[in-house]
Amino acid sequence: MKKARGAAVLLAAALTLGACGGSSGNTGGDQAKQGAGQFSVALNEPDHLTPGNTSSSYSITVLQALFDTLVVIDSKGQTQMRAAESVTSQDQKTWTIKIKPGQKFHNGEPVTAESFADAWNAAAYGPNAWTNNYYFANIEGYDKLNPEAEGAKPATDKLGGLKVVDTTTLEVRLTAPFSQFPITLAYTGFAPMPKAAFADLKAYDQKPIGNGPFGLDGDWAHNKQIKLKKFAGYAGVRPARSDAVLFKLYASRDTAYTDLRANKVDLLQTIPPASAGEARKLLGDRFVPTASGTMDYLGFPVFDKRFQNADLRKAISMAIDRQGIVDAVYNGTFKPMASLLAPLVPGYRENACGEACVYDKVKAKALFDKAGGLTGTLNLYFSNADPSYEQWMQAVANQLKENLGITDIQFRKIPAADYLSTLRAKKEDGPYRNNWVMDYPSPQNYLESMWGAGNRMGWDNKQFNDLITKANAAPSMDASVPLYQQAEDVALAEMPMIPLWNWQDQAGYSNKITGVQIDPYSPNLDTITVK
Amino acid sequence: MVDLSAEAAGPRPASNVRGSLWNDAWLELRGRVIFWLSMAIMVVACGMAAFPSVFARLGPNERCDLRMSKKGPGGGAIFGYDLQGCDYWSQIVHGTRASVLIGIAVTVFALLIAIVLGLVAGYYGGVVDAIVSRMTDVFFGIPFVLGSTVVLIAFPRHGIWAMTLVLVILGWTTMTRLMRGQVLAIRDTDYVQAARALGAGDRRIMLKHILPNAISPVFVVAMLNVGNVISGEATLDYLGVGLQYPDVSWGLQLNVAQTFFAEYPHLLVFPALFLTATVLSFLMLGDVVRDALDPKLR
Amino acid sequence: MRYAVHRLLQAVPVFVATTFLIYAMVWSLPGDPILALAGDKPLPDNVLQALRDHYHLNDPLIVQYGLYMAGVFLHGDLGETFTGQPVSELLQDRWAVTAQLAVTAWVFELVVGIGLGVIAGLRRGRLADTAVLAGTTFVIAVPVFVVGYTAQILLGLDLGLFPTAGTDDGWPVSYLLPGMVLGSFGLAYVARLTRTSVVENLRADYVRTATAKGMPRSRIIGRHTLRNSLIPVVTYLGVDFGNLMAGAVVTEGIFNLPGIGQQVFQSIQLQEGPVVVGVTTLLVMIFIVANLLVDLLYGVLDPRIRRG
Repeated sequence: MKKARGAAVLLAAALTLGACGGSSGNTGGDQAKQGAGQFSVALNEPDHLTPGNTSSSYSITVLQALFDTLVVIDSKGQTQMRAAESVTSQDQKTWTIKIKPGQKFHNGEPVTAESFADAWNAAAYGPNAWTNNYYFANIEGYDKLNPEAEGAKPATDKLGGLKVVDTTTLEVRLTAPFSQFPITLAYTGFAPMPKAAFADLKAYDQKPIGNGPFGLDGDWAHNKQIKLKKFAGYAGVRPARSDAVLFKLYASRDTAYTDLRANKVDLLQTIPPASAGEARKLLGDRFVPTASGTMDYLGFPVFDKRFQNADLRKAISMAIDRQGIVDAVYNGTFKPMASLLAPLVPGYRENACGEACVYDKVKAKALFDKAGGLTGTLNLYFSNADPSYEQWMQAVANQLKENLGITDIQFRKIPAADYLSTLRAKKEDGPYRNNWVMDYPSPQNYLESMWGAGNRMGWDNKQFNDLITKANAAPSMDASVPLYQQAEDVALAEMPMIPLWNWQDQAGYSNKITGVQIDPYSPNLDTITVK
Repeated sequence: MVDLSAEAAGPRPASNVRGSLWNDAWLELRGRVIFWLSMAIMVVACGMAAFPSVFARLGPNERCDLRMSKKGPGGGAIFGYDLQGCDYWSQIVHGTRASVLIGIAVTVFALLIAIVLGLVAGYYGGVVDAIVSRMTDVFFGIPFVLGSTVVLIAFPRHGIWAMTLVLVILGWTTMTRLMRGQVLAIRDTDYVQAARALGAGDRRIMLKHILPNAISPVFVVAMLNVGNVISGEATLDYLGVGLQYPDVSWGLQLNVAQTFFAEYPHLLVFPALFLTATVLSFLMLGDVVRDALDPKLR
Repeated sequence: MRYAVHRLLQAVPVFVATTFLIYAMVWSLPGDPILALAGDKPLPDNVLQALRDHYHLNDPLIVQYGLYMAGVFLHGDLGETFTGQPVSELLQDRWAVTAQLAVTAWVFELVVGIGLGVIAGLRRGRLADTAVLAGTTFVIAVPVFVVGYTAQILLGLDLGLFPTAGTDDGWPVSYLLPGMVLGSFGLAYVARLTRTSVVENLRADYVRTATAKGMPRSRIIGRHTLRNSLIPVVTYLGVDFGNLMAGAVVTEGIFNLPGIGQQVFQSIQLQEGPVVVGVTTLLVMIFIVANLLVDLLYGVLDPRIRRG
């Protein structure tokens, strides 16, 4: 390697000579010599770093190192206390949160009940226009912060349902009983913010101050890097085992993977599925597949009369060879699904769907004909966010053509910016790609969000809605699961949206680091040590 | 795209004995191996574009079997299979049509625009010339990839004709500039003056006297342009803003191949080979024709 | 001097028309950039409304364009992205990367391209000439992304001659391979152009005269032929610098260079109007200035132009 680099330098020198002293030399290789206890993590550019204002998975990776949320979900899917001592309720409607005393923000401020109340009020305050605003909708007083009328200014900027009882006690009143509330608190959108943040929220977004084991070191260098260093004053349960983390920001995961192979970056959480086979060979046990809660579905515009027959929808489901697609496009890393819930969600049943999710072209064709077939052009909708969507849609199109005899199939590849508004406005007239990224491991997060009232498909089922309401009010997770499962059965019998596959994340790391404990809920960067 | 006029332009004798010019050129070309080589490639490419079923075993996207996905050459498939498990040879043959059709259509339209605007601007001069020239400058200044991406995203479906339109909009300027320059040079020659003195109308002068003498360098650039358009179209497909299913094109195949080519190089190699050969044939043809038309270089 | 002023005045309407065209195209894109920010999660209507107001998305197009241009020229303000970062700040970081890449590619074109062209021209018809001609035609014909990936895997990863991606090693080491890939097309072009020009000039009357007078060949070539041969090459190189800046989209993507090409491509897909317009406006400006400079330089090299 040393010799090789020499050749490059020689060539460089030759080019510099020709440059007539043009561009002045950049500070070459300042990042090359990293600190002893530092490792690097490949990441895409986050959108924001204010906890209440981002749902991007890249931002969340950074925030999980910068912040300690009240609770966390451990690798087995169990809720564990982190910044909180306890989260309790008698009636599932009023919740009492006890916060561990003695914790500090990176600027020395103590972490109190108020730190949480301030952060949540800011996120729920409509005019701030923060991405996670919606997550606070079930707290009392949310309506007052988000008036319906256009341009109306809210009369208050505090959620009525939040009460700071003392420095370590926060009381939350919800609009309806919700047994899943403690799990939702693991989401980084519920992280605390120090008083210092509110002096200049814009500056805070560039340089967030958290309460986690790592603090920001220097500025967020957009599209280049974000540097974190160990927080000396950390008093929580997971002190950092390394001195510093360097997030290197990439524009594509393919390039990031190329750098991982060249040992230029220590950890990459998103090895492209297409490269999984090669990565497994190359990295051995440093290749870490992790289960994921992310699911792909094919939704139908049930409001369109061509797709109102449940048998037709099932026929399409049965004509799709999920395993074949997963093998071809995703190198067999994703898991074909016969359930609406991801496997790591409590209440998941491997074959909830039954026959309707099993690939059988003969039965599919018979059912398709029985349902009266399909007239006109079949348009397939997906966004241009990732090239693999187009690849699997093409496989679906080929199969529908081959197995059901639908000859006129067209693509509707919509710019990512326009995709969701197209679906929201119900402008689609054919099956569409529907993706769900899990917020917290609860059946409610999947079922109510996608099949509940006001869903995209225009599917409205009273039995389903009643079951969800009943499950939400159940006294415990265990008690709620059977009710959620009944609701899932209803949705599967009607099949307004067919499950396709469950994602799998593939991480890989260099031989410079050990103690990598990535789980579906967090990369746990604090556990990593540098050799 | 690149400004081709720089290479092809330059002072050129406005020969009014065009019969002998093209005649000489043909005599010269007949003896060049490169000429026959590129003609052979072009004939094959055009044949594949016009009658794909003669060359391909299967129709586009026909009888694809996902279980054969990405399998290399062997068995019944000499080029192996693509990501969708379709016969790669058939898919590549069908991909020829998009490339060749767009390459030729764009060039023909751009050439027509160039001839009309170049003649009018160069011949009349004055305000007309100023307007045409500034318009050319405006479109010439729009960066190719960025400009076409913006336009294509606005189209709901990016079919072959949408692509052609975009590439014409961003590609007519080079030839127009060249044409105008040629017309300017010829306008004031003795024989044109003579024709005018004899009472010939503007249209007659432009079509009978100027056009035939101005066209040959533009024609050479047009040939080179076909190659460049094919390359540009493939780039847009590759970036994911060009053609899409059910269309089949080399650019789309290369787009898919970029993800998988480390493990399945045949996905990249075959369409790249076809694309390169086709582009090369148009470039080489343009080159030899230019050499043949330019006596100074003989 | 009058010539220079005249050219400058011509450039103004071109600039306005081009930027407005781009502005109009970008803002007529379908879809709602604000909604895209939220990803798959719903955004309440009042939040959407607040964001739209903030970015003037409710004003008519011509007003938006006017406000924007006023901002650019009066305050040097290029607007802000939908994630709240000022565009000028965003570009400032990225501009340097693209400029370094373009300069590397440009120098590569200049040195190697002219070198090969001169060699081929002087040895017309011999092996070196044929090799240069064949090689350059081939380079022009192979799509740049194929060249890019192949070079990255073979030279970067397998042979380890160059860094594979990113800008960690700074200029010029990190920029060598991407620069060569980006410059390969122009290099082929420059080489061919130089060759043609050298061949034409070697046959010119003045060379024959000089040879007849007994001037040494090296002096003829050095003094006269090369200087005259470079005129069309300079034209091309000038215009091509603008092209390189814009054409970096593909190369920056492959080599993960955080430059403006990569940024603007993402921004088009995200419909980040301010960035697209900001970058293209600056690119058009560079392009027009480069053209202007080339025209003026042309006048210096070839006195006939000034008089004409």
